[in-house]
Amino acid sequence: MTLKDVSVSEILRPEDGGSSPGLAEAAQIRYLSPDDTEFTLTEGHMLNVKAGGKEHVGVYVHCSFPHTNKRIYLSIRTVENEEIGMIRSLDEFPEETQRMLEEQVELRYFAPEISKVLSVKEEFGYSYWDAETTSGYCRFTVRGGGGSVKLMTASRLLIVDVDGNRFIIPHLDRLSDKEYKMVEVCM
Amino acid sequence: MDTLPKAIMNALAQHGVASESVLCWLLCDRALENGFRDTYVLLTREELLILSHDQAPAREKTYSGYAANTPLKGLSPEKEAHWELEALKIRDIESLSIVNLVASGMVVIKAPEERAVAAFTNGGMRSAARLAKIFEKLKKSEELGPEELRDDQERATCPKCGMIYPEEGRQVCPKCMKKHAVFGRLLSFAGKYKVSMFWIVLFMLLNSAAGLVIPYFQGTLLFDQALGGKGTFAGQIGLVIALIIVFRTLSLLFGVIFGVINAKMAANIAFDLKSSVFHAMQRLSLSFFEKKQTGQLMTRINNDATELQYFFVDGISYFVVNAMNIIGIVTVLLIMDWKLTLLCLLPLPFVFLLVRKVFPKLWRLSIRRHKRVSAMNAIISDTIRGTRVVKAFGMEQMENARFQRASGAFSDAEQSFNKMGVTLFPVLNILTQIGGILIWAFGGWKVMQGDFTFGKVMTFMNYMLLLYGPIQFMNNIMNWWSYCMSAAQRIFEIHDAVPDVVEKPNAMQLTEMQGEIRISNVTFGYEPNKAILKGVSLHARPGQMIGVVGHSGAGKSTLVNLIPRLYDVNEGEIRIDGIPIKDVSMASLRTHIGIVSQDVYVMSGSIAENIAYADPDCTLADLIHAAKVAGAHDFIEKLPDGYDTIVGTGGHNLSGGEKQRLSIARAILHNPKILILDEATASLDTKTELQIQEALDTLIKGRTTIAIAHRLSTLRNADYLVVLEQGKIVEEGTHEQLLVKEGAYYDLVKKHDEALKMNEVITA
Ligand SMILES: Nc1ncnc2c1ncn2[C@@H]1O[C@H](COP(=O)(O)OP(=O)(O)O)[C@@H](O)[C@H]1O
Ligand SMILES: [Mg+2]
Repeated sequence: MTLKDVSVSEILRPEDGGSSPGLAEAAQIRYLSPDDTEFTLTEGHMLNVKAGGKEHVGVYVHCSFPHTNKRIYLSIRTVENEEIGMIRSLDEFPEETQRMLEEQVELRYFAPEISKVLSVKEEFGYSYWDAETTSGYCRFTVRGGGGSVKLMTASRLLIVDVDGNRFIIPHLDRLSDKEYKMVEVCM
Repeated sequence: MDTLPKAIMNALAQHGVASESVLCWLLCDRALENGFRDTYVLLTREELLILSHDQAPAREKTYSGYAANTPLKGLSPEKEAHWELEALKIRDIESLSIVNLVASGMVVIKAPEERAVAAFTNGGMRSAARLAKIFEKLKKSEELGPEELRDDQERATCPKCGMIYPEEGRQVCPKCMKKHAVFGRLLSFAGKYKVSMFWIVLFMLLNSAAGLVIPYFQGTLLFDQALGGKGTFAGQIGLVIALIIVFRTLSLLFGVIFGVINAKMAANIAFDLKSSVFHAMQRLSLSFFEKKQTGQLMTRINNDATELQYFFVDGISYFVVNAMNIIGIVTVLLIMDWKLTLLCLLPLPFVFLLVRKVFPKLWRLSIRRHKRVSAMNAIISDTIRGTRVVKAFGMEQMENARFQRASGAFSDAEQSFNKMGVTLFPVLNILTQIGGILIWAFGGWKVMQGDFTFGKVMTFMNYMLLLYGPIQFMNNIMNWWSYCMSAAQRIFEIHDAVPDVVEKPNAMQLTEMQGEIRISNVTFGYEPNKAILKGVSLHARPGQMIGVVGHSGAGKSTLVNLIPRLYDVNEGEIRIDGIPIKDVSMASLRTHIGIVSQDVYVMSGSIAENIAYADPDCTLADLIHAAKVAGAHDFIEKLPDGYDTIVGTGGHNLSGGEKQRLSIARAILHNPKILILDEATASLDTKTELQIQEALDTLIKGRTTIAIAHRLSTLRNADYLVVLEQGKIVEEGTHEQLLVKEGAYYDLVKKHDEALKMNEVITA
């Protein structure tokens, strides 16, 4: 099942600033450092950030690699999709901030992770899924014909239902034989 | 509008809110933390109401589309939730917006601090967009139109089982769509082949009837009578052999006749099916083809049509004949000796069982093998078509490794498939042969006893062998049947799809057009809650040239695509010569509009055919003149095959600029009253562009032109310009007026000039 190449996170090492200083200069990405960046959560559940003395209200956290590593290269953006800056790695930040940002990532990339596939019934070009997930028992409908069930890395499966809701099987190789067979038909 | 759940009605009543005053509501099914927790956001004329509870998140959820006829597991908290109501006056709320997350949305209000109210999964997006729109209207104290209050955007549900249709705009309930209904429809499709079908079945029956008597001749007649010297045919070996030969020949002859009729019908049916699907497709709107899953639908059409062809050609007739065969043979056997018959049918249940159990597994393995082959082929085609890239970056080694992996995966799948196959089939064989062994054993014993003749045993044996084929067929027919019905359903789906952009029943024919365009207050988005154009108004008098400028992604192309009604506006109206374009027949509207778009497409065919695409009857002189004006003439003349050069898939490769010139020539020849140039000269070099520009300048005379240009200099002749920014018109006026204003246009020009200067430096 390892058709996918080396996962990206193995190539990208968040510590270094890239091997080509010229490229970094050309890209002009602003990296937020923990020293002059302060994240706060408002009472209304909005994330604010104060970076380089400037306060931004209502910002969102985007992951560059939502499937391979959610903790590196986070992009902090306004609702108009303007980038305020990037975070190389969450590890650079104090624990409290880490937790805050992780919550924001969860908010944005909400996708129940399937821990047990109970049944997958295929009928007329749709498959009907019953699964235990990290968010409880979920039942959803997936359009058949490929394209809705995608391998994102060698063992991580993304399942998109008819409305575009996302479900993840984080470790395909940890499914039981029976589960794997049900899932495989849809891949 | 869907009715509110009882619990919510009660909660509203408890808080003294009349449920009739609710204009619209949204169920937010996600907690802002992880998990599912319901929050209701409701809107009345004065207030925004938020109903929430503080129970633990629900531990189960059924997403839309799932036929919820089985109850949930009851994992959610048992006790009735206590709903807290929060009421906010609309006048205290500055704004309410829906923020798009990944596969979810979030309601954010500003009152006056920004605040996230609740989040919802993607299924709620439509309701959410509607809520935001109604809020905005209320905020501006605008009257709500009937379309806002009517809520036809909710997903429709199947009237039979109550299941939400899994796909919008497609009123097909896959559960209730009975297979026999599809089958009936398929049969009606085959109606015109009734006669052929009748002949086919007749000859097949004759064919097998002639075949069926042969075992009797070979066994009883030959051994018992002719050789055994008893009965009518005693000693007449020659006659019996002759009879066998005659019947064999007859059987063969009938077989040939049915084969010939069948082959003819097969070709006709395939033709009919494919052309009917193609017709059905042509009638659909652009958006149908843009939806992702339809891309797959398209690639499957060919396969599906082939599948159905087999269904008609082989399926129906073989089914009838095999059924008759089984009935016939079993009857004959039972008459001959019912005990022996039952005995040798003994292994059959085991065969069935084995096939039922093991075939699905084999099927799965074969699917896996198929998928891995596809993956491997994808790599091969990737590297072959992308050879340039692979070589340029020196990545041959990596491609080798990639291929090795895919090839290894395929080989694994192939091996497990074969292993299964080579064990399954011998076992099946043995099982079926046990029947034969039983005949020999039991029959032999009977012969010894003198109850049976040897010929009878032979006859029995031969009939038995004839029986297994039809039984195998019947055994597989269920799988095959559902497979065919799915194929049929996909084809009917295209037949039944309703175009988004529909013509009015008695649409006007627009014979003459002046070319006045009035776009008033148009709002449009490809998806809910993602308006691309917001309240755009524009007026072009006949013969005017309007320039549209703006950054890429501003919605320029979208705006011009609305004029020929490739999409329908969500709000507002477009009129041409004062007539709403919704009232005009699409064909007559589009004959008067020519588009040179940014993504050019050349059809397979000759260059001449491509230029004359919209007017195949034009004179050759016109064709060449149009090519000359478009600046295509010179490069075409240079080609060895001139205007006859075949382009498109598999033909001569044209460069981007050459394709663009072809499409300009196409529009020029079409001679429309309204000309739309969507970055028509974007992929040309400056010199060629200048040449074409001059030609276009003369061409534009007498036509209403809407031009979108990358290089602002090409718009210098425009009567006026509009600047589009994020779907809104932010400035309009003539070039001079806008320059004086020093606003958005001024900035664009300045940036553009800088870019030009840079270009000069580089090219100098
Ligand atoms: N067929 C489509 N379906 C969905 N979104 C589209 C489609 N076509 C364009 N868009 C989106 O609409 C926006 C405006 O696109 P477009 O009108 O092509 O911009 P412009 O021509 O000004 O560069 C873009 O964000 C683009 O992604
Ligand atoms: Mg465009």
